[in-house]
Amino acid sequence: MAQTTYGAEVTTGPVIEAKGLGVKFAVNRRRKRSLREMFIHGTKRDPNAEGDEFWPLRDVSFEVGRGDCVGIVGKNGTGKSTLLKLIAGVLMPDEGDVQVRGKVAPLLELRAGFNDNLTGRENVYLVGSLHGMSEELIDERFEEIIDFAEIKSKFVDTPVRHYSSGMKVRLGFALISQLEHPIMLVDEVLAVGDKAFKRKCYEAIDRMLANHRTMVLVSHSERDLRRFCNRGLYIKGGGLALDTDIESALAAYDEDTKAEIAERKKRDAAKKKRAEEAQQKADEAARENEGDGDGGQAA
Amino acid sequence: MASRTLAVWEHRKVVGLLVRRDLKVKYQQSVLGYAWTMLEPLAMTMVYFFVFGVILNANRGMPTEEYGGFLLFLVAGILPWTTFGQILGEAPRAMITHAKLITTMKVPREIFPTATVGTKFIEYLLTWPILLVFVVVLGGRPSVMGVFVWLPLAVVLTFAFGLGLTLFLSSVNVLLRDVERLTRIVTRLLFYGSAILFPASMVLESDQVPGWAMTLYQLNPLLGIFQMHRAVWFAGFEELTPTTLALSSSVVGSILMLIIGYWTFRRLEMSVLKEL
Repeated sequence: MAQTTYGAEVTTGPVIEAKGLGVKFAVNRRRKRSLREMFIHGTKRDPNAEGDEFWPLRDVSFEVGRGDCVGIVGKNGTGKSTLLKLIAGVLMPDEGDVQVRGKVAPLLELRAGFNDNLTGRENVYLVGSLHGMSEELIDERFEEIIDFAEIKSKFVDTPVRHYSSGMKVRLGFALISQLEHPIMLVDEVLAVGDKAFKRKCYEAIDRMLANHRTMVLVSHSERDLRRFCNRGLYIKGGGLALDTDIESALAAYDEDTKAEIAERKKRDAAKKKRAEEAQQKADEAARENEGDGDGGQAA
Repeated sequence: MASRTLAVWEHRKVVGLLVRRDLKVKYQQSVLGYAWTMLEPLAMTMVYFFVFGVILNANRGMPTEEYGGFLLFLVAGILPWTTFGQILGEAPRAMITHAKLITTMKVPREIFPTATVGTKFIEYLLTWPILLVFVVVLGGRPSVMGVFVWLPLAVVLTFAFGLGLTLFLSSVNVLLRDVERLTRIVTRLLFYGSAILFPASMVLESDQVPGWAMTLYQLNPLLGIFQMHRAVWFAGFEELTPTTLALSSSVVGSILMLIIGYWTFRRLEMSVLKEL
């Protein structure tokens, strides 16, 4: 049975354990039928609909140990974020299972949970509590959070809808990074913010990693990946292609990208050549036509 | 099922936070806050009172002045109905509005519909001061049976039915967005089908309604529930208490709705998470 299990925190053994993970999405029309199927046919699969399924991720197995920082690399749309969602437990796998031992701090969507009509202060308390922070803890850290997010004190009690998008993201990061959960999931959030803020984020993450916390990072920035990660998972076409150190994973990704670019260039060149040939032929034909014509226009 | 219910209970703090957030947002946006939420049902009550009671003179078989009259009858039905109608109105969006939270936070997903219903429960409690004012001014007569049996039963069944319906509608609506529109139409039909504006006896004692239609009419669980809400305030006016059939269909219907709603919610949970 496919499932995501959350156990107590352990000191030995892998923190995240994925076995044969797979997620299936229905494509187009089948979405509508799936509702009927669920009520009438139960979970039985309709053999005729097999072609309409799409597996963004299938047969993925790996383990992550305590204190590891794992970078996930791969092209857009290969299932990196889906994998992160499975680990976070906000998506349920159709195949296999993933066991996560310990609480997860999701730095997936930093503005998640902020209500536009509430003030910055109210939102910090709301989202902090939603993630399991006690009120005393938030009281204690409040100054630090606001300070880190660089929110001017006059804006603290302003509704968040008047904040700039940068302010919201900064506040989100400042808050979530205060969570003391042992596992952190990071999805491209380092790409936000200006230079100075980015540097602060790096330092915060360094501190967390020094604290023996486990991190899974999805990013397209090779610099970020090299900086933090000691391991790399290369996801290719919905499957796990490589599970090694980050350098090899990046190298493999790079190679495939280069091969793909070369392939595309070759295709483009071929296309261009074909187009040129066609053009030449057309020109020739036109010239012939002109020659064959009565020449009335030429004079 | 037991373990999931337990998980929701363990996350009751989160439910509380969501309820508090919704109330805060709702009441701080306008100065009149509370007054506004009360104004709407009261305005509707007045409209119905004048149209049906005064102009159309349709208050046959209703409690007379000495019992509190047509006006108390209307208020006692419309106030709980407003809450129920709001549950129906928000139920289809209970999951969609929380899409961002659901896709980033690992919590039992049931807490979002539960929070929606919880908010409405608090708002229902807030209608009580108004209701009591009407009861005192118009001279309603609460009965012992009414206060200790009908009232708690009515409240429990209203919210059990509401929660079941919210679980059902919130998950189905993610996959089939038409549900939202359909719900709006059904809500209107239910308003008239649940005898909010007239006593159910008007239908049940009519010569023009065939027997099967009467049975069908009483099978609507909401009919009994709202009859109970009203029966509390009319001691000695037995025509307003639900019939055995209406009573049993409210109890069975509410429990059934809760089970169906929960079952559907669990069944669709995986697809809902993918679509959000």
